[in-house]
Amino acid sequence: MNIEAWLLTIIVFVPTLGAFFCLLVPRASIRWVAVAATLLTLIASLFCFGMYFQGDGGGQANPFGSSYGHLHYGFRLPWIRGENFTIEYFVGLDGLSFPLLILTTLVSFLACLASWNFDHWTNNRGIRAYFILFLLLETGMLGVFVSLDFFLFYIFWEVMLLPMYFLIGVWGGPRKEYAAIKFFLFTLAGSVLMLVALLAMYFYSADAIRQAMTAQGGGIPSAYRPGVTLTGGTFDLIELSTNLAIQTYFKSDGLLFLETFRFAPTMFMLLFIGFAIKLPSFPFHTWLPDAHVEAPTPISMILAGILLKMGGYGFLRLCYPIFPTGGVFWAYTLAVVAVISILYGALCAMAQSDFKKLVAYSSVSHMGYVLLGVAVMTTTGFQGAMFQMIAHGVSSPMCFFLVGVIYERAHHREINRFGGLWLTMPKYGSMATLGFFASLGLPGLCGFIGEVYVLLGTFQARDKFPWAVPMAILAAAGVILTAGYILWLIQRVYLGREREEYKGFAEATPREMAVLIPFGALAILLGILPDQSLFAFMNGTLDLMLSHIRSMTGIA
Amino acid sequence: MELNELYLPVGLVLPIAVCAIFSALAPRLAGSVARGVAVAGLAAGFSGGALLAARGLADLTGVTAYEARLTIGVFFPLMTFVILAFYGARIGKPSAGWVAVAAIFSSFVLSALVTYGWWKLAPDERAGLTVSAARFQWVQLGNVWITIGVKLDSLTVIMYFMVTLISACIFLFSVGYMAGHSDEVDHQSKYHRFFTYLSLFAFSMLGLVVSSSLLFLFIFWELVGLCSYFLIGFYFDKKYASNAAIKAFVVNRVGDFGFLIGLMLVFFYLQDLDLDRAAENFATAYAKGSGIFAAGNFSLFGIFSASIATWMGVCLFCGAIGKSAQFPLHVWLPDAMAGPTPVSALIHAATMVAAGVYLVARVFRLLTPEAQFFVAVIGCITLTITALIAIVQTDIKKILAYSTLSQLGYMIFAMGIGAWIAALFHLMTHAFFKAMMFLGSGQVIEGTHHEQDIRKFGGLWRKMPWTAVTFFVGVLAIAGVGVPKTNLGIGGFFSKDEILAVAYHRAFHWGETKELEEAAAPGDSPFVLVDAQDQPETPHPALETGPKPRAERGHPAHGPFVSPKAAIIKQMPRLPQWMFWLPIIIAYVTPFYMMRCWYLTFWGKPRDQHVYDHAHESPLMYVPLVILMLGTFFCGWFLFRPLLAHAAEGATDAPAIVAIDGIAEEPAKAQGEWMNVHAAHGAITAWVGFSWVVGIALAILIYFRGLDWAARFVRWPVVRQVHSALVDKLYFDHVYGLVFVNGCIAVAYVSRWIDTYVIDLTYNLSAGITERLAAFTGNVLDAHGVDGFVNGIADFSQNIASAVRRPQTGRIRNYVLFAAAGATIIVLFILYLTRPHEAVAFGQQPPALPTAR
Repeated sequence: MNIEAWLLTIIVFVPTLGAFFCLLVPRASIRWVAVAATLLTLIASLFCFGMYFQGDGGGQANPFGSSYGHLHYGFRLPWIRGENFTIEYFVGLDGLSFPLLILTTLVSFLACLASWNFDHWTNNRGIRAYFILFLLLETGMLGVFVSLDFFLFYIFWEVMLLPMYFLIGVWGGPRKEYAAIKFFLFTLAGSVLMLVALLAMYFYSADAIRQAMTAQGGGIPSAYRPGVTLTGGTFDLIELSTNLAIQTYFKSDGLLFLETFRFAPTMFMLLFIGFAIKLPSFPFHTWLPDAHVEAPTPISMILAGILLKMGGYGFLRLCYPIFPTGGVFWAYTLAVVAVISILYGALCAMAQSDFKKLVAYSSVSHMGYVLLGVAVMTTTGFQGAMFQMIAHGVSSPMCFFLVGVIYERAHHREINRFGGLWLTMPKYGSMATLGFFASLGLPGLCGFIGEVYVLLGTFQARDKFPWAVPMAILAAAGVILTAGYILWLIQRVYLGREREEYKGFAEATPREMAVLIPFGALAILLGILPDQSLFAFMNGTLDLMLSHIRSMTGIA
Repeated sequence: MELNELYLPVGLVLPIAVCAIFSALAPRLAGSVARGVAVAGLAAGFSGGALLAARGLADLTGVTAYEARLTIGVFFPLMTFVILAFYGARIGKPSAGWVAVAAIFSSFVLSALVTYGWWKLAPDERAGLTVSAARFQWVQLGNVWITIGVKLDSLTVIMYFMVTLISACIFLFSVGYMAGHSDEVDHQSKYHRFFTYLSLFAFSMLGLVVSSSLLFLFIFWELVGLCSYFLIGFYFDKKYASNAAIKAFVVNRVGDFGFLIGLMLVFFYLQDLDLDRAAENFATAYAKGSGIFAAGNFSLFGIFSASIATWMGVCLFCGAIGKSAQFPLHVWLPDAMAGPTPVSALIHAATMVAAGVYLVARVFRLLTPEAQFFVAVIGCITLTITALIAIVQTDIKKILAYSTLSQLGYMIFAMGIGAWIAALFHLMTHAFFKAMMFLGSGQVIEGTHHEQDIRKFGGLWRKMPWTAVTFFVGVLAIAGVGVPKTNLGIGGFFSKDEILAVAYHRAFHWGETKELEEAAAPGDSPFVLVDAQDQPETPHPALETGPKPRAERGHPAHGPFVSPKAAIIKQMPRLPQWMFWLPIIIAYVTPFYMMRCWYLTFWGKPRDQHVYDHAHESPLMYVPLVILMLGTFFCGWFLFRPLLAHAAEGATDAPAIVAIDGIAEEPAKAQGEWMNVHAAHGAITAWVGFSWVVGIALAILIYFRGLDWAARFVRWPVVRQVHSALVDKLYFDHVYGLVFVNGCIAVAYVSRWIDTYVIDLTYNLSAGITERLAAFTGNVLDAHGVDGFVNGIADFSQNIASAVRRPQTGRIRNYVLFAAAGATIIVLFILYLTRPHEAVAFGQQPPALPTAR
């Protein structure tokens, strides 16, 4: 068996296997099985680093190849064969999905550790179901990041939805049902739009191929798979992005959807809304604060750390490579929405009195930078958006865990009722300061690089988009608001006189520190060595994607 | 393994080992001699380690000894930071402080060696080293590599020297000061925490000084701000302290917002963030007449319009407005006095707040005349209003804070009028005497058990003679005491008067024909530091890599030509006269309010017997005071100004503006082997030569009888209103609090309200409406069997509802329906927006796909 080909499949399904074992083992060992499964997944995913250090097949020195769509650990099997279509089990890894894959396995492992001492576990309530769902969720998330067949992608997208719904709805706080349903329906609404796009893209690509075949006579050679010819529509995301026949057909102005609407912008927007809900971006963000407030701490970590990134990943994997002209069409709208998200999210965060809600709104603000970075369609912007996703994937789970640590002790999250916690819990206080300053975007920590790249990238777009400079300036103003609400938060919770009622709080336990320290270390590492720790692993793919987009849109 | 490969690891491990031994040993030592030996051993261990590590680094990376030493000097405080952050509590109370002192001492040793070596070098050797300084790649931004490296020039060397020297003094002082203060909070020792932050600060500040790239300058810029935040809020159990910390950070962020935009402009229009390369590109662009210099081609939302190059300079300067607390962002500095006094001395007087001036000095080559004028205006306003506020302050630290603001205003003003050397020279002298005065005030506050009100002091010189004397020297220095036309004087006598002389020149003699002719003449021009190029067809000197050795310059010209500098001077406007008079007036005010402070504190009769009885001073704390006093005396006379004058050659090689210094009766001296006091005072003796006499005499006169006369004076009609306005700090805090802080919070609450009651309610309402509709269709229409189609939809949604429903809430159905309805609406909306052949209301115009550029 070729282990390289199977590696991604193993990574994706180890958690499922773990979930299966969770069914079998006695209650007391369930947590161990879950931790072992997530740890194994993490270790397996670390093997993927190999793609940068060895030739991977052809012995190429450049791990990113020479054009967009160069994959590692690629693996495809026909899965569902219809009369004139084939849905494939098609997974693969490139510089775009790799950092998110590692982030997913890491955050899942740490969230699993964070689930160790749940209130519910004292009477063994639901422990088995919880970890089974948790592991299935991980499979869903990993699947989304590695699958390259749109249909498969869609299935994993839905697979991830259901466990999340139950994890919030069953183990959540007082308004858990409301929050869970809200989460479910918002995402579902997005999925519906995505489904429309999925079908349309398939049939239109079939048209494209048919047209090209009539023109050329014979099958159309695949853009990136030597020796393969296309004779019909496809769900292959790379093919959809890179095949010239499909791309030319998709971007032609005369192509209409439902005989009335321009195809590329319509499809772009359908996909975009599906992902923007997930991001979440204004005005589709209101599910997020509710979901976060009600979700248990580890689930909040997953939600903020990984689920939100699926939105950004969706933009980069689907929207822009497949419908670059749609991106140009909507660039202004997207940038406006992004800037509103940044400022409005920060302002809402400032006005919150619930600790978790504040962090949730800060996510809206931070993910606004991701949207802005992709909206302007520059190399620096794309890099910044990716970096911001990873940085936020490190800092926000850390912040949510920090909230969880005191929630576990105080059983409330009212910011104004805290105070002096740094004196009560010095170690925890120091980690909290680190986490929140990383989120604030302090230079030397992870948040800074992403923001600066996005802002510079936005500025760079000045030549093609005249509105880019005002947008960059408005977005930069976000750093003032961010500093305001984060410092105010730190003051109210951690500084000040020690309060009587919290004097007895125990310092962070070794297990809690074990969750916090990797996040803290990564926040520093990403901030100090951004190139060696992240850019080196993804820039190649982003550059290739951008040059593909440029050649398709003719816009620099 | 080669021996020289071992230097670096050994050099890094040695201090850690020494530190471990010291912390194990120190608590067991009895007697001050044994302890002194242990501390000396610690310092020796750190210094030896630092020297070894520097040598190892030089061997390993191939950089010069200068760069290696400066780099190691930056990182040793960081190492202490890490040690103290993790083991500080275990190292314990006095030892943790000594470890920090040892680290900064080792940085000082390295910097002293560098400075000495640099001092010995010939100017062209220095220039060669500047050009060949190494750069390492950090990240790639677009297709530009952001590099990291040491900006090796005379300014870095001398600034680094000043920072390490003053830091070492203040660290030492802190060991004594914090011995009594650290338990103030909660009765737990925060002692080590203080030194942890101080070490981090030393690292960040030194990093800022050596950074060769604007981006790194910005990164360290933020880090010093962070340290400032932590140290202002050191007593964070006190509300006022944490408020002051937040205020400092957020106000600085406002400035940094501008800085960030400036960075973007630099990156975008000059294609590099490296200081030197950006300046080269700027010069190229200027020589080519690039569009970025076209007037008014860049307007922000159509309101402010100026050339892009001007905006770039102004935006970068915004950073300095925040960090150096210039009007209108000066409000954070007085509040920052909530921090422990050594912090005020180090961060909020000597080093960090001066970083803004340093930044302007560094980006001087990127300024345009308009941007430069903006700098001057801001400086002039700041130095005026803050000096006036200082007159009425009664808190000893607040007086010093406002006087710092005023002096920073002078420096910024000096930068703005092109007095590059004088600004930095004033920065250096001010750092010494102001740090000394702050430490003196710390001594007073400590000795009188936290009394800060000068109205309650009086006659303290008998109890604390060392402090009184050193403080008095500080007063003399800030007043600019000296005898005009001689070299007898201290501090501001050299530096401030030089600024005023340049201002005089800019206001009254700028661009006079005679001088233009002189500037156009070959060889050294009298007042333009960077001389004219000998070949007119060469676009600009800065185009060539780095400053040329001086020997090559000043070749006799081959025929007549017009110097580019002369052309610049012609274009640059004269200074408005008020910008000369205000600094002159304030030169009279400064001695007055400082003497008032000293006189009320140390002279006269004790006004509060209780405070007086308690007063005492401790030797650990006055030794640094004496060192700083010596520094105050000597910094005017040697080392500092010549090195700055040398630095000016490369650092002010600007295409659009000129640096002028030491007005020019004696051109040979203007360039500064010796400060040019004669010339400076020659020009302005009549105006400020004896301002110190007037100011000091006036203070003695008014406060000769204690507070009575002043109190009576304040009751006069107009004086009363002015006085109360000044006491209220001209209402800046009130207005900012009302407009910005409360305004922002109000907007935040409005946003929250919108989120809950508009956006979310819309979703909930649409869900509710769908529910009603479903109920209607389900119950009314269906019940009456009117419309089977609608019935079907309702059934369908109910089916989904029950599928999704796990918890019974009764609202599931609405949500499913809402989802379906919402999705439909969205689809319709998109379809509407993407209709072809019609202007689109919401998005951008449908792209007429452009051809490839």
